Amino acid sequence: MISLIKSAAGGLTGVCRVYGHQQVLSQCCLKTLPAGLKTFQVPPDYSDVFLPSKPKLKFLNKVPNLKKAKKEMKKLRDIQGPAKASNTFINGQYAIVALGGGYLRWGHLEMIRLTINRKMDSKTTFARWRINAPYKPITRKGLGQRMGGGKGAIDHYVTPVRCGRLIIEMGGMVELGEVEHILSEVAKKLPFPAKVMSKESHAEMLKMQAEKEQNNQNPWTFKRIAQGNMMGIRKVLSPFDLHNHGRYSGKFHFPERV
Amino acid sequence: MAATLFAKFVPKHGWLPLTQTVRHGSKAVTRHRKPLHILKQKLLAVTKYIPPPQPFPRGAYPSESDHNQEDNGLMLLQKKDLKKIFEDYKMIAVVQNNCGNAEDMVILKHRLHKHGISVKFFPNKVTRPFLINSIYCNMAPLFIGPTVLLVSKEPKVKEMLTSLRASPQMTLLGACIDDTLLSVQGIVSYSKLPAMTVVQGELVSGLTMLTSHTASLLQRHPAHLSSLLQQYIKQQNPNNGTEASPTAEQAT
Repeated sequence: MISLIKSAAGGLTGVCRVYGHQQVLSQCCLKTLPAGLKTFQVPPDYSDVFLPSKPKLKFLNKVPNLKKAKKEMKKLRDIQGPAKASNTFINGQYAIVALGGGYLRWGHLEMIRLTINRKMDSKTTFARWRINAPYKPITRKGLGQRMGGGKGAIDHYVTPVRCGRLIIEMGGMVELGEVEHILSEVAKKLPFPAKVMSKESHAEMLKMQAEKEQNNQNPWTFKRIAQGNMMGIRKVLSPFDLHNHGRYSGKFHFPERV
Repeated sequence: MAATLFAKFVPKHGWLPLTQTVRHGSKAVTRHRKPLHILKQKLLAVTKYIPPPQPFPRGAYPSESDHNQEDNGLMLLQKKDLKKIFEDYKMIAVVQNNCGNAEDMVILKHRLHKHGISVKFFPNKVTRPFLINSIYCNMAPLFIGPTVLLVSKEPKVKEMLTSLRASPQMTLLGACIDDTLLSVQGIVSYSKLPAMTVVQGELVSGLTMLTSHTASLLQRHPAHLSSLLQQYIKQQNPNNGTEASPTAEQAT
């Protein structure tokens, strides 16, 4: 095809050469048209996607339904370190992943619910909570109250979230580009660093982390030094460090460390 | 604290007490990072991640995904065309097209077309895998950057060189003529060779001239032939020539 057009163009100039005065004029207008075969991408196959009957996010209670509300201690353990539960995809393809620990209040959950339910197309998409309704009581003393007199009353409830936990899952007959703007709008408003990830990118992130650990050229690793108690370093390390090898400090996560 | 106090009250030798203090109350503020002990800071600095060294810079070699690309229909068609060209044509010259515009190309094409040489365009993505898998694998390094193939059924090297001389933006890289890979110098020396029919004619004429010469000699008088033979023998042994000549004179 290309050669045909080019040979045709060549023939044209050949003709023009015979009529010398027209040559310059015609060659300015001469344009070689490129020809090719366009290959379209195969559309994704959604035959195995199952849409639940209620695709939207459920309303979450502000206060748990308890017979007797009990005050609890701070229990900062529940936001420090990596998430042990719901850190993998179940039925969705895209999710908001927490990259640090923190507490979600009911207001955050409402913001997430309203934003996502309003913006998503419920005919092709579904969304699922991967966190529970607020269950941890936080106590406060009332305004203008003097100090002392024991622990304050329960003010509100929060949901503790550890690093690596999925907050929301979305799925259905959509691609990442269609839901990313919704999820990223939510993710930037959360009280901890969070990122929108697809199932593949999440798996890739975990793989990269494992690869990094495998290919580390530094012979002195945190794990080796801490577990061997070299030069009595355990004196300044906590048991938390022994498990996490310096990758976490409280609710913070250091992704560049291995 | 209680444990340390406890340890002080037990004066037992050879037993190390657990010297870990029990924490009291909540001192954990989660808003900022905790200040680190200097030893822990040093430990974190020492145990930083060191990536494996890269033997070559990024992008110096083509990525593996480029090699494993699937062929689409157009590429298969072009490969088929390329195979046909390598089967049919005797002269396949590789020319680099250095920022020549369409007009120059059209003029060059026209000039080459007079001699029956055609210009073929193939993307390197098609050419390189085809060449590497074929017997012409030595040609593969020529295909870098924008390359153009000049093909003809007859090896018309001289005509090609003369028409390429007029367009300086086209650089000849090499050619495959009669299944022989030639460099630029090789092509130039090839062009200086006379045509095949001329060489064959020369050979035949040389051979026939020898036989005709002997035939004409044999038709001469026998005495002339014998004298010639004697002269030949004299020439063959030059050191005996001076002694032989008087004997020959005596004999006559």
